[in-house]
Amino acid sequence: MKPTTVGLSRREFVRTAGLTVVAAAAGLALPGKVSLAQASQESFSAPVGVLIDLTRCVGCESCALACKRANGLPNPDVPPTELSAGAYCYVDERKVTGPDGETVTQFVKRQCMHCLHPACVSACTVGALTKTPEGPVVYDRSRCFGCRYCQYACPFGVPAYEWRNPIGLIHKCQLCVGRLRAGQEPACTASCPTGALRFGSRDMLIAQARAQIDSNPGRYVNHIYGEHEVGGTSVLYLSRLPFDQLGFPVLGREPVPRYAEAVMSSTPFVALTVAAIATSGYLLATRREHKLALVKSETRGPGGLR
Amino acid sequence: MTTDVSYLERKAATTAIKPGDVIVAVLACLTLLGVVAGVGRLVLGLGPTTGLNDEYPWGIWIGFDFLLIAFAGTGFTMAALVHVFRLEQFKDAVRPAVLAGLLGYTAVLLLLVLDLGRPDRFYHFIISWNLHSPLFEVSWCVLLYTTVLVIENSPFLFERLNWRWPVQIAFKIMPVVAIVGVTLSSLHQSTLGTLYLNMPHRINPLWYTPILPVLFFTSAVMAGLSLAVLVYILATRIVGRPAKVEIVDGLGKGAALVALIYLVMKVGDLALAGKLPALFALDEMSLLMLAELGIGVVLPAALLLVPTVGRRPVVRWLAPALILAGVFANRFDITLFAQRAPDGAIYVPSWLEWLSTAGILSAVALAWYLAVRFLVIFDSRAEEQYHH
Repeated sequence: MKPTTVGLSRREFVRTAGLTVVAAAAGLALPGKVSLAQASQESFSAPVGVLIDLTRCVGCESCALACKRANGLPNPDVPPTELSAGAYCYVDERKVTGPDGETVTQFVKRQCMHCLHPACVSACTVGALTKTPEGPVVYDRSRCFGCRYCQYACPFGVPAYEWRNPIGLIHKCQLCVGRLRAGQEPACTASCPTGALRFGSRDMLIAQARAQIDSNPGRYVNHIYGEHEVGGTSVLYLSRLPFDQLGFPVLGREPVPRYAEAVMSSTPFVALTVAAIATSGYLLATRREHKLALVKSETRGPGGLR
Repeated sequence: MTTDVSYLERKAATTAIKPGDVIVAVLACLTLLGVVAGVGRLVLGLGPTTGLNDEYPWGIWIGFDFLLIAFAGTGFTMAALVHVFRLEQFKDAVRPAVLAGLLGYTAVLLLLVLDLGRPDRFYHFIISWNLHSPLFEVSWCVLLYTTVLVIENSPFLFERLNWRWPVQIAFKIMPVVAIVGVTLSSLHQSTLGTLYLNMPHRINPLWYTPILPVLFFTSAVMAGLSLAVLVYILATRIVGRPAKVEIVDGLGKGAALVALIYLVMKVGDLALAGKLPALFALDEMSLLMLAELGIGVVLPAALLLVPTVGRRPVVRWLAPALILAGVFANRFDITLFAQRAPDGAIYVPSWLEWLSTAGILSAVALAWYLAVRFLVIFDSRAEEQYHH
């Protein structure tokens, strides 16, 4: 039985927050891409993330193809058009009305958001999904029995099932956790030629994103998608167009599993209460029966019970 | 009323083909077709054989799972009334209900084998835990409670075989077993509601509420009492003995009262959450919820609680049947119709899903019918003999 890691303890949070203030200051001083050494070091000190600057995406789909190759997925030369068991990320081409009424094409890379408090991890019947301390939400295919509850719990519709396999399993982006642990950055961010995908510590990326919004008036909407959505996600977005127009779900700040986890933690209490009520009900009822039987036997004389 | 009918039935039974034989034949044929469909799914996989997709990963199989568990709540409800709280007046109705409970859970287990992506790993929840997961708790409770139901049903067979010692042991441990069963049922009946709390982004606000666990438990009790009425009437007809009016009326009245409690909680919660305008918006979702509550809760509760109406023979089975229809609608609404998939995808169940479901339901209905006919479902001589 592997313990599931959901979120950080308070002490861990304070520690990482302290570290990341330093990291954020460094990131601001040296804008642009984080060096590999810095990123790999951070992957063990502070939770990592990916910042996706949609204004820099040109729709080349290098990331989606690099993803397929890194994960050994089928048809590595065909750019995918949706998330599936054979594609952990894709570049969505959205036609939207821009701020001046013109039709704009906006490319949106989509993949697992790697939530800080993931509903899929909370929901998984067999604990096959885990939030790692480094940030990625990873999936252990040896545990999964294919109940597909994670697909319902995910507010972004990310986990995909192998529908064509008679003994199918779930597939999702793991943020290249193997590469992270080997000191490399994820395949998608490494392949991006325009700097639209940036890998680094999540807190540093948020500080950088905030600075970008502040220092480039009019280039971005004042919203870092993923900073607060469902309690925060490790993948963050910057955009010129409002996120709801680009197909991003409008979500509150509360983690999805908040109610379910509260109810589940009361399970022992509920069990004890019900068992106590039932037991005392039984004892009271049998006592009453004995009294009645006694009264009957007295009125009928000896042997009245039979 | 039942005396006349059972008399006629007994008369008919002596001539030509018995109606029971026709039922058996039809159910057996459907069962065989269902086996073929089930094997087809296991060999070919979910993609080619079902209408399921990444936007609708759960379909009618899960809908029937939720429905069957609520209906099979009749087992724990009647065990609680008779074995735990010792309401002896309902004793005759406990066995048909506990039998229906076991067969309901059996159907759920069979449906889950078809539905699981890896049926070969069905036991993984035993070796791989996640205490946060509602479905983890439900899996454990269903496993343990099915065991409880097997024990609760065992005397029906032991008595038929005249096994004295096993019958005695079963009666000795029955109160403890029943208390364990009531506890396990309270947990997983409510946790099935908790399960949907992890889908706030998919479920329509008229259905989504933090009190879903309480609503699921309460509706399982009202479904349980209602099904107890129906299976009791049915079982008395099958064995050709009169149904006791006080049992039918008592359980019916209980179901109506629980339905009223459910109604107050449901509407009160909508009111507190400011959702009453949405309830009466008369759009698609509002009409669905109004139908669910109107036909499945308000109407049967009114029928059962108005004395002049409630004593009419047709109301005695129609009102519980309406409550069951309401719970049927509720479980399917929250699983399918009141859900919004991302990208507006749709799900159309395949004929194989329908056929396998019909097969499994037929198999358990057949098993229930045969058990009522050939096991000891009413003869409680043995019970009295060992009880005191």
